[in-house]
Amino acid sequence: MGEAKPENWIRCDETGKEMLSRVLSGRPFIIPAPPLHRLPLRLRNVVEISGPSNSAKSQVLVQAVVHFILPKEWAGIQFGGMESKVVFFDLDCRFDVLRLSQILTHRISETCGSIGQIAFDELFHDCMSRFLYVRCYSSSDFLSSLKELSYQIQRKDETIGTGLRLLLIDSVGSFHWIDRSNQLRGLCKGKNISPHSLQEAIVHELHELLLLQPLLVLATKASLFRTETPNEYQRSSISNSTGDRNLLFREYMPAVWQSFVTHRIQLHPSDELLSDGSEPIRSYTSDWLQPSVSIKDRFIVRDDGIFLT
Amino acid sequence: MMDTEEEDFKSRLAPDVTPNRQLPWLTGIELLSDTNQNKHFLPTGLEGIDALLGGGLRQGQVTEIAGPSSSGKTQVCLSSATHVVDRNFGMVLYLDTSNSFSPFRISCFVNQLHPSLPKELKETSLQTIMSNIYCQSVFDIFALLDLLHHVETTLKHTVKLGGSKLCLLIVDSVSSVIAPVIGGKNSQGWCMMASVGVLLKRIAYEHNIAVLVTNHMVGGENGTLKPALGESWKGIPHIRLLLSHGTGNNRGTTTVLKHTLMASGRTANFVIGN
Repeated sequence: MGEAKPENWIRCDETGKEMLSRVLSGRPFIIPAPPLHRLPLRLRNVVEISGPSNSAKSQVLVQAVVHFILPKEWAGIQFGGMESKVVFFDLDCRFDVLRLSQILTHRISETCGSIGQIAFDELFHDCMSRFLYVRCYSSSDFLSSLKELSYQIQRKDETIGTGLRLLLIDSVGSFHWIDRSNQLRGLCKGKNISPHSLQEAIVHELHELLLLQPLLVLATKASLFRTETPNEYQRSSISNSTGDRNLLFREYMPAVWQSFVTHRIQLHPSDELLSDGSEPIRSYTSDWLQPSVSIKDRFIVRDDGIFLT
Repeated sequence: MMDTEEEDFKSRLAPDVTPNRQLPWLTGIELLSDTNQNKHFLPTGLEGIDALLGGGLRQGQVTEIAGPSSSGKTQVCLSSATHVVDRNFGMVLYLDTSNSFSPFRISCFVNQLHPSLPKELKETSLQTIMSNIYCQSVFDIFALLDLLHHVETTLKHTVKLGGSKLCLLIVDSVSSVIAPVIGGKNSQGWCMMASVGVLLKRIAYEHNIAVLVTNHMVGGENGTLKPALGESWKGIPHIRLLLSHGTGNNRGTTTVLKHTLMASGRTANFVIGN
């Protein structure tokens, strides 16, 4: 205490302008690839991408991965990537690395035009080394992997800890039935942790991780439970102008997860097929639920990635 | 110095975290080289399907074939088993839930493969092929889970001595053991289905095995047919194919419902020879 003067208490620490510039430089806005481009996201945001099966959710994750692992600039060519590490938690165990390699190859070829094979290989190798992959076969696997990741970041480990900006989870609902059944049976997997608090422990661990290292979290969630189909009158009043059915899905993730998520986007395969060259191709719609945006985007998935139509 | 720090940290972790577990962090490069070296395509023997899948059933992935009855699902399974063993990829484990495994059909496929061989050589080739296909009947989900756990334990502890190793696991049909337990308010059945899914994917990936499962159809909205086992099952297989009757006998059409690399909706015709 000592010499503290009362004036020091009311003197401001920084002006609003200074604070804004500090926050924006520390947590800059990220504009990811479509269909997440509508809203500016920042590190420490948690985005939940939900949708029924076959609605291109995992494709959106792979697209984000490519955006993050590409360099900003390489050998004078502008790529516009984030040049940072990415960690992918595959709870679904369906990730296909060939798809990632396919999209990355297309992006590099498009941007670079013709470069030598050696240069291409070097760039490809650099980018792929920024991608880290973990498979989890149960919720406790996932929890222990998260703890290990925290530990590696605290240790500032060369391979994993530094330069990590994106964390992907595919998909959070993978162990829903197993965890729920264990919870109802009152089965304890360990001495102190019961399956219900397993979910809470996972969210807590993610929260601690975000405090330790600012990350953008993208998580997919399969929409398993469709709500009761409304009667004719309700159906006609909620369908939008393009005629797509507005499907409502019941939330099944626990409350801790729901309050952890900051942004929600819902994807849905559309019934109509667009013609893209030779074959009719399926299109998908994306709809921001939180914060609510009135414009729905439509996109297609081609060999070289996701494109808006 | 680092080891003691690590031990210290691990002892402070929650008790349910096993300290000895190796967490496999893989970089993209390691993942890609593992896929290229270890995860090959196994032929189904039916040209149309092989071409559609880019070579056949991929090791490390679970492929589901759905279709109405007598659309050729079992024939695809039997044909894959024959061709995989014939080309010396390894052994096949055929889990049969409805007594549909037919040695006669296998011999027909073998005849088709080697039409010009003399009789004795055909006999020996048939014997070799049959001795590399292990067929086991399972009639309920508990037996299936037990068997899959047993397979996984055996695979973990088998030392490869240069002999044949399991490379294809067929469950025909997985839906007939899962369908009776799911549905209703009780989540036990769904939990068992999810456990089957996790086991199949783990066996496929860790031991480089292609898994082929079949599924039947049930009525959906507006009187159309849809694959059974509901929305939760859709998230389990890597690749989902739909078979339908084609024009004429032994012909059929395959449609891709879901694939990790290509868009859904692509179709191909196939012929099941005599």
